[in-house]
Amino acid sequence: MAKSIAITGLRTFLGRRLAERLVLLPGVRVIGLDRLRPHGLASGVHFRDVDLTRPGAGSALADHFHKDDVEVVVHLAFRREPTPDLEGDHELETIGSLHVLHACAGAGVPRLVVGSTTMVYGPYPDNPNFLGEEHPLRGHPHAHSVQNRVEMERLVADWTARHRGTSVTVLRPCWIVGPTYRDAVTRYLARRVVPTLLGYDPLLQLVHEEDCLDVFERAATGHHPGVFNVVAPGVVPLSTLLRRAGKRILPVPPAILYRLRAYPSQAQTGDRPEGFYDYLRYLWVADGRRGWEEFGRPLYSTREAWMSAVSAERMRSYR
Amino acid sequence: MNTEEQGDVFRDALASLRAEIRRRVAPRSGDAEASEEREAPAFDWVALIEDLRRRLGQLGMRERSGEVDDFGFDPETVRSARPLLDFLRRRWWRVEVLGLEHVPDDRAVLFVANHSGLLPWDGLLLSDTIAAEHGEVRRPRFLIADWLITLPFVQPALARLGGVRACRENAERLLEAGLSVIAFPEGVKGAAKTFRDRYRLQRFGRGGAVRLALAADVPIVPVAIVGAEEAHPILFKVETPARALGLPFLPVTPTFPWLGPFGALPLPAKWVISFGEPLAEAKRGAEAASDDLLVARLTEELRGEVQRLVKEALRVRQGVFA
Repeated sequence: MAKSIAITGLRTFLGRRLAERLVLLPGVRVIGLDRLRPHGLASGVHFRDVDLTRPGAGSALADHFHKDDVEVVVHLAFRREPTPDLEGDHELETIGSLHVLHACAGAGVPRLVVGSTTMVYGPYPDNPNFLGEEHPLRGHPHAHSVQNRVEMERLVADWTARHRGTSVTVLRPCWIVGPTYRDAVTRYLARRVVPTLLGYDPLLQLVHEEDCLDVFERAATGHHPGVFNVVAPGVVPLSTLLRRAGKRILPVPPAILYRLRAYPSQAQTGDRPEGFYDYLRYLWVADGRRGWEEFGRPLYSTREAWMSAVSAERMRSYR
Repeated sequence: MNTEEQGDVFRDALASLRAEIRRRVAPRSGDAEASEEREAPAFDWVALIEDLRRRLGQLGMRERSGEVDDFGFDPETVRSARPLLDFLRRRWWRVEVLGLEHVPDDRAVLFVANHSGLLPWDGLLLSDTIAAEHGEVRRPRFLIADWLITLPFVQPALARLGGVRACRENAERLLEAGLSVIAFPEGVKGAAKTFRDRYRLQRFGRGGAVRLALAADVPIVPVAIVGAEEAHPILFKVETPARALGLPFLPVTPTFPWLGPFGALPLPAKWVISFGEPLAEAKRGAEAASDDLLVARLTEELRGEVQRLVKEALRVRQGVFA
């Protein structure tokens, strides 16, 4: 009997790519759940349609988990980037996670893997240079998507304490970059002229998409209970990242940048600019040592991950 | 034959040599070319612009802070700041170093020093002095107060020069990595004391520094820094306008705010940095670190030792600007 792994949020980058990887493994049956069937779904992935924003999503999910005899649930149904639909984001990311937790409890799923982000620690001047997994999750009051994740993590921690029978892995990747990964952050970094905060040059940490997927794959196929930061070794100042990529840096005084309602020519996030730019102001570098011990060291360092993304971008610009 | 004549002879010899070289090097270039050369514009604008462009590019390359370590320290920044640091150390403050033989040069050390001055010149200069004596590899990292972290420009610059936010996690990690650390247990209280209280040590925090050294099993070296107090002598502090700016207080020094930004320049007081003998602990390790009484006793001992060193260094120094 093949082991069944269910992935919520099949249409997200991580969900789709993880499904494509898991399908290739022998003895693994992949069940992908999402609201709509993704285009070009890898053959072998069994699609089930579930809308996590619906009130009855919990029992629908539990039915699927039960029917397919799911052993591992990988919860990745999160927005790739914040949208102006604050209510919708909250329904999906927080309440949707609650549905998944209920379904796992109902169907007695033995293992759960949850994707979070290191942004939940929040950028604060009084952060230590490396944030351990136990550091309080302060989030950022003006980044609603991050706040949703913080709330989600609180729900998961609470649920984990009550359901000793399920082993729960929480993975917190930092900003993901790579040849194919796209989100609001990579779009910000891909601009030709990048606005930064005048007088601030924080150390940043990135992880390569393949390294990130490696960790999710290992978490889905093995037994790794606990909370782990998924980060690459090394830190690079923002200014160095941008110079390496040959970008123009446009330092703007924070007072001006924060008065612009949304960062220019980006998708509207529905947040005040602080919600993004504070992450380019103060430190929020996570300590990856626990994760490296558990899952192995990543192939790409922060700098290499960035260079990989940049070279792919350059290749694309040659038409 | 006087010197002037000698010079003439020498100049003639040089001129003939130059002519000879020119004749030998370019024998094949025809007369046409030679005349063209003579008629070429005296100033080659294209070459000049090209040269400037190249230099500008190199300038960009040089200030490119490339590789930083985990705490944002950039050896390249230190190298480019070297002339300034040397100037401050040798000429401006004429730093005199005493008791350097007490500093072990083969292992990580926790330096505990008295704190003074608003900008962390004391930490920067102390770390630079040790690096100058024991090599760049042993450059200690100095811990800096929280409120400096929020300041634009100051924070990135300090990080590139080896400043790290003062907190337990950071210090632990630095010592674990085998790097020496400079701690100022007086904290902001030390930096913010007025000129009247100069060289009177404040309370040494809650013993965090001693606990840290015991747990990490590194020797504690007491250090006295004399002169930093006079670099930014705080006459008195004003608090109401400072709150509006989000600062803990606004200092009034003989030069600040009267001279505007120039008031931030430190006065050229004479500095003495004096290292004491490493503190002798009876026991070390995690259990010693959790022994509150021992930590409190050692902290008091350490404070006394730093105070003694300060007094001694003040005696050594002839005068404030001597």
